[in-house]
Amino acid sequence: MSGSAEAVVEPRSSVPAPRLRALLLEAAAIAAMGLTLGLIANRVSPRGLVLSRDYFPPAPVQSRDARALASDDGQMAPGAATAKDRVLVRLAELGLPAVDFAEARALFEDPRHAQELIVFVDARNDAAYTAGHIPGAYQFDRYYPERFFPTVLPVCDTAELVVVYCTGGDCEDSEFAARALLDAGVARERLRVFAAGMDEWRRHGMPIEVGPRGSGDFRTQPP
Amino acid sequence: MNDPVNWSWRERSQDLGTWLARAVVGGLYVYMGLSKAFQPVEFLKLMRQYGLVETPWVLNLVAATLPWFEVFCGLLLLTGIAVRGAALMSVAMLAPFTVLVWQRALQLQAAGQLPFCAVRFDCGCGAGEVYICAKLAENGLLLMLSLWLVCAPRLRACLWPEPFRR
Repeated sequence: MSGSAEAVVEPRSSVPAPRLRALLLEAAAIAAMGLTLGLIANRVSPRGLVLSRDYFPPAPVQSRDARALASDDGQMAPGAATAKDRVLVRLAELGLPAVDFAEARALFEDPRHAQELIVFVDARNDAAYTAGHIPGAYQFDRYYPERFFPTVLPVCDTAELVVVYCTGGDCEDSEFAARALLDAGVARERLRVFAAGMDEWRRHGMPIEVGPRGSGDFRTQPP
Repeated sequence: MNDPVNWSWRERSQDLGTWLARAVVGGLYVYMGLSKAFQPVEFLKLMRQYGLVETPWVLNLVAATLPWFEVFCGLLLLTGIAVRGAALMSVAMLAPFTVLVWQRALQLQAAGQLPFCAVRFDCGCGAGEVYICAKLAENGLLLMLSLWLVCAPRLRACLWPEPFRR
């Protein structure tokens, strides 16, 4: 802010029209430049969004099973059900089987897990994944499929079961990730969604792997 | 009046207030904007929760550009370039956003049967989860400071305060 003391603008309230015009011109110029800057920054950023992509594609037509899980008129009243219920309804709509903690644990301890015939897929972002994931889980942040598909798809293609999870609660990322895998050719019968996710996994004091996959940094939090 | 020695206390305090307003509003915009700009996906998810925009590309456009736009406005205010215009844009962003946050808080209050000020959620402001009453007070303060900057009688310590004014 060199020369700041000299940069004094005196009031000219006697000419409101030119002042208003200048103000609106300024605002319009800022809007145009800010939008342009935002578009360029988004384009350059490795975390930028693809503007043409539908990140939240609508669910297919509701199935009879899903309607059975919802209320009588087939509509789920907001607040009338828990987050878990809502997730189960959405998964039923998609025809994706959900697994609870006991089933997820059984799959984790199944010898086929060590052989990568049962694969866990973590649908959270980099920060959450490196802070702790189910040991051996592959990361698939579905917002950046170009980055993760080359690693995840071959593993999912050869696995007997693919268990997708995210944080838990109202988290939708596991559902959308499972749908992305489905669209990429992974058979529906082989897909499972661990809806309760990492929150439940940690709550039960299960081991987690910190850092990248294969880091060997395993930790167990007391339940 | 142009001689600083002759400035009255009122003028000096106005200048100080204007400078502080620029520092507070500009600094917050840069901080909040950057925290969202580096996590555009998280911001996209939060924007979607408001249910305002259904068209995917419009939602993506807002989530991708708004954080950088905030950073831009914040830098203009901090450096003192097009201050009134940047402050006007601040008002244009803050006013509708505050209404949206308030409406969302009412929904959460109804769903959770909570006292209004006990409602706590991530409003997409860039500061994580916040209590609604604190957020509304903060936005109210920022709105007042922005309006002050739009109407401030004079602007000091600025690089180029009013580029379109002759």
